[in-house]
Amino acid sequence: MTSIDVQDLTKEYGTRRAVDHVTFRVRPGRVTGFLGPNGAGKSTTMRLILGLDRPTSGSATLGGRAYATLREPLRHVGALLDAQAAHGSRTGRDHLRVLAASNRVPDRRVGEVLEETGLAAVARRRVRTYSLGMRQRLGIAAALLGDPEVIMLDEPANGLDPEGIVWVRTLLRRLADEGRTVLVSSHLMNETAAFADHLVVLGRGRLLADTPMRQFIDARVRPAVRVRTSAPTALGAALARAGHDVAEHPDGHWMVPDARVDDIGRLASAAGVPILELTADQGTLEQAYLDLTAAETEFTAPLQEA
Amino acid sequence: MQFAPVLRSEWRKIRTLPSLLGTLLALFAATTAFSAIAGASTTQDPDFDPLFTTQSGVLPGQIAAISFGAMAVSQEFHNGALRLSLTAVPRRLGWYAAKATAIAVPVFLVASATALASLIAARAGLGSAADGLSVGEQVRAVAGCSVYLTLTALLAAGLATLLRSGVATLSLIIPFILVVSFVIGDAAGTAVEFMPDRAGQLVLQRTHEGILGPWSGLGVTALWTAAALLAGAWSLRRRDA
Repeated sequence: MTSIDVQDLTKEYGTRRAVDHVTFRVRPGRVTGFLGPNGAGKSTTMRLILGLDRPTSGSATLGGRAYATLREPLRHVGALLDAQAAHGSRTGRDHLRVLAASNRVPDRRVGEVLEETGLAAVARRRVRTYSLGMRQRLGIAAALLGDPEVIMLDEPANGLDPEGIVWVRTLLRRLADEGRTVLVSSHLMNETAAFADHLVVLGRGRLLADTPMRQFIDARVRPAVRVRTSAPTALGAALARAGHDVAEHPDGHWMVPDARVDDIGRLASAAGVPILELTADQGTLEQAYLDLTAAETEFTAPLQEA
Repeated sequence: MQFAPVLRSEWRKIRTLPSLLGTLLALFAATTAFSAIAGASTTQDPDFDPLFTTQSGVLPGQIAAISFGAMAVSQEFHNGALRLSLTAVPRRLGWYAAKATAIAVPVFLVASATALASLIAARAGLGSAADGLSVGEQVRAVAGCSVYLTLTALLAAGLATLLRSGVATLSLIIPFILVVSFVIGDAAGTAVEFMPDRAGQLVLQRTHEGILGPWSGLGVTALWTAAALLAGAWSLRRRDA
């Protein structure tokens, strides 16, 4: 059981603060989505965790140890930072064999991860002939090489085709179910919503949220009911009598905020209004995220001028 | 972390890049070919040095050694390759030592074969002009040439680590060798004798007139190389990857 512990981590480049007193913990057994706009400090935080960049202050540890003190770190932590890191003139297989040798990972694992990432057929081709999606798979193969208990992937879905995205989603789920610690950064909301159990959100280097995903959405997006009817006047009257606000959309459906499907259904039935569609609008990660960042922008704007 | 697995990994990195293997081949081919040509061209020059003639291919050949050292390092400075390498081997100085060893050993082996082949090829052309060369002088030239080429490759490797670029390294060293040392060389006086290439090439010459002898000259080159490697180590250790 290894978690990633980030303690009061700060990184400054000159006067720009890329990571600003960030504290969070990534726990095993679930997929943690690492969200934030481009430039929010996600990649910097990952580099700090991997000991590649030196923090200005604070610390990042894996199971209580700094990355640089790990013996044969690929056996503990697998990371994908940049799918372009593989040299174009090397074959995919040789790229992995180079990494395997440094950490005494048996060469048999190279074949296994190539198989697992669907690259076995192109393993002996030079990386420069690979598509972006194939490079991404090679980067993931490198991360899985040492069968690590911690996996960190920076934007793994970049360049993947729809089939590849489903594959990554399934892979992340399986890794978490096996009890591994999985941290996956993304700036794509729908993608993250599809795989994450927990969210860590950064904005301008600061921690904005560290909560379970469902809770994150529910706290920020008011539930609503979407309803469509063939008798709009009657429905409007019935809803108004029950004290509901309604908003009519141009395409003909109505949104009833702060309502539950059960209540609206009964209400329509009692009023004898024919219902064509009735769905709960649970709110999406995207809505919740935009709500959070809007609030954050308001909050930070005066500080920027100071 | 143990050194041997890291060294194996670094050697695999070199072995699996065709361009690097090509550079080693070029080192052998260019040095031997130019030495053979030099041996075959008869000269009446009073300064004629049959010993240096047998190794004179080192002048073009060293560019291949420099390219090899620079490129073996510069592959790390493309697209975050260094980050991946240091993720696998976070002990940076250990990694750097393995990298330098993986550069030095193949260059030394290829350079030894090259120096020997150059001697044989050039002597075939020199004929009786080389008869005065003692065994000791010839052994010195072959061993010295191997060491000299290894040192130049490492010098380039250290500089490439400092500058984080193969192109910057080559555009610094190659004009230096071709212009500073070669063109204005004799005009600049004794300081030139201490330049890394001039000092190291003394080991290939039969007679010595300056301050430095054959081995002390090679020692001066070794100091330059050590300085470049240390500067690279300092940069690697200090900077964010």
